[in-house]
Amino acid sequence: MKVSKVMTAKEAVAKFIADGMTVGVGGFFHAISYAITHEIIRQQKRRLTICQPSFNEHADQMIGAGCVDRIVSSYVWMEVFGPLHCFRRAMEKGIPHKIEMEDYTNFAVMARYLAGSLGIPFIPIQSMKGSDMMKYSSWMGEGKAKLIRDPFDPKKEYVAVPALTPDLGYFHVQRADEEGNCQMWGIWGDSPWSMRACKQVIVSCEEIVGRDVIGRDPNRTILPGYKVIAVVPAPFGAHPKHTQGYYDVDRDFIFQYIRESRSPEGWKKFMDEWVYGVEDREGYLKKYINTYGMKKFLNLKAKDISSSSVNYGF
Amino acid sequence: MALKYNDFTLQELMAVAAARELKDGEKVIIGTGLPLLGAFLAQKTHAPNMVAIYESGAIDCKPLVTPFSVADSVLAPGSAMQGGLMEGLGIVHAGDLDVGFLGGAQIDRYGNLNTHVIGDYRNPQVRFAGSGGSNDIGAGCKRTIVMMLHQKQRFPEKVDFLTTPGYLRGGKEREKMGFLGGGPSVVVSTLGILRFHPQTKEMYLASYHPGVTIEQIKDNTGWDLIVAGDVKETERPDPELIRILREELDPTGVFLKKK
Repeated sequence: MKVSKVMTAKEAVAKFIADGMTVGVGGFFHAISYAITHEIIRQQKRRLTICQPSFNEHADQMIGAGCVDRIVSSYVWMEVFGPLHCFRRAMEKGIPHKIEMEDYTNFAVMARYLAGSLGIPFIPIQSMKGSDMMKYSSWMGEGKAKLIRDPFDPKKEYVAVPALTPDLGYFHVQRADEEGNCQMWGIWGDSPWSMRACKQVIVSCEEIVGRDVIGRDPNRTILPGYKVIAVVPAPFGAHPKHTQGYYDVDRDFIFQYIRESRSPEGWKKFMDEWVYGVEDREGYLKKYINTYGMKKFLNLKAKDISSSSVNYGF
Repeated sequence: MALKYNDFTLQELMAVAAARELKDGEKVIIGTGLPLLGAFLAQKTHAPNMVAIYESGAIDCKPLVTPFSVADSVLAPGSAMQGGLMEGLGIVHAGDLDVGFLGGAQIDRYGNLNTHVIGDYRNPQVRFAGSGGSNDIGAGCKRTIVMMLHQKQRFPEKVDFLTTPGYLRGGKEREKMGFLGGGPSVVVSTLGILRFHPQTKEMYLASYHPGVTIEQIKDNTGWDLIVAGDVKETERPDPELIRILREELDPTGVFLKKK
């Protein structure tokens, strides 16, 4: 009889995330676990190294809250929505403290995860060659990336980047069972490679389903349960990001965050209201509906564009 | 009716110029904003067989609504394939794609791009997003189309930080690096259209936008910009293309500011 790994975000973060850890954050604009991110902030985790090919406001909030010392990434910004002000304050002025960043490319971070997920020490890539990302490094020094000669064709040179294997990863999916078998659809983001490269994984999900539901469509499983140490039920857990088939991105809310976080005071006010001032995701959800109304909330709900099913028969 | 599409904005002119750079049947990795409008405009007109790809892993997407973001929820339904970053950027890295769109805070005379910092990397005056997929696209796509705000500080002699190699210091320098991709073929700026000399790889002015003078463009460029012998005014957009942009691709004015 398998033991259920279901627990609250509060329990999972308290039990498994320690100060000073290297943490892989899953997702790419879509399906980012705000449920876990906000809990990390509330529990005031410190000196984290956070890794993700592309970071958005979730990184900005952890940086502003003083949780982060180091970043492994290619991008910290919110695309057409605008810049992330805590990130810029930290990089430009050392507010709340100076942070270090190892600048890679989006694909280079994926390649590092791929190597990590396969248990190989490094991987040669074409990206980064000839760029200043090869000249500058932070705490990794020469271990960030190296130009190497192809052992099979010595005329060619590639950039070798080392495997990335975070102590822990967390990500958000549509559904998981109690053992932690995770199913995801729509934009996979950095999954499955990022989460497979992490030593252990916390998953937050829109729904907990039975093992039989997973088994009826096993090709949709993005991570097998044995990698997962905690399963956190978190409906609306990626808001203000979208989760395909559940709800759309909340553009107004993202614009609001970027607007209000222009000053440290505005940022603090936003965080007091939406992170420090709520107990958990359920409280967040209630507050959202109270603030913006049920109509706005329901407007975020995804339309029904269901796939046809396939025959797994033998 | 046709008259209302006879005028055009600078943004619309740039989107049409970007669309003209794409050929039918090409595999194109698309960003957001003007590149997105340019690519979908091409698909709706002269390039119906263009394969639209997003780094978020949507391949051959046919969105019902114009996407706002590179990871928009409208991308997956209708796509031929939906994966993640490994699928979207893996095929870029493998050299499969014909065209990629780029932009940045700075570009220099050899098409090198900076999306990292203004000032010193370690103590930046302004810190920008970083590479994201920019360097990957610049290294892997057969050619790239760069869209830039044309100002002197954004067109410096040398970029403050080299994020995405163009032709490095010109000539055969890029070729020697052994990239799968060929480098930038065009810069569509807010003032004109610039291309690269086939041998020296130095950027030159190919056309100036209506209402803009060559002097103005040279004044807004941080080096002595070469002007093509056959320099001309940028071709004005066909009213039908303006209609498609306004009515079909961006009816609510998300990207194109309403006049």
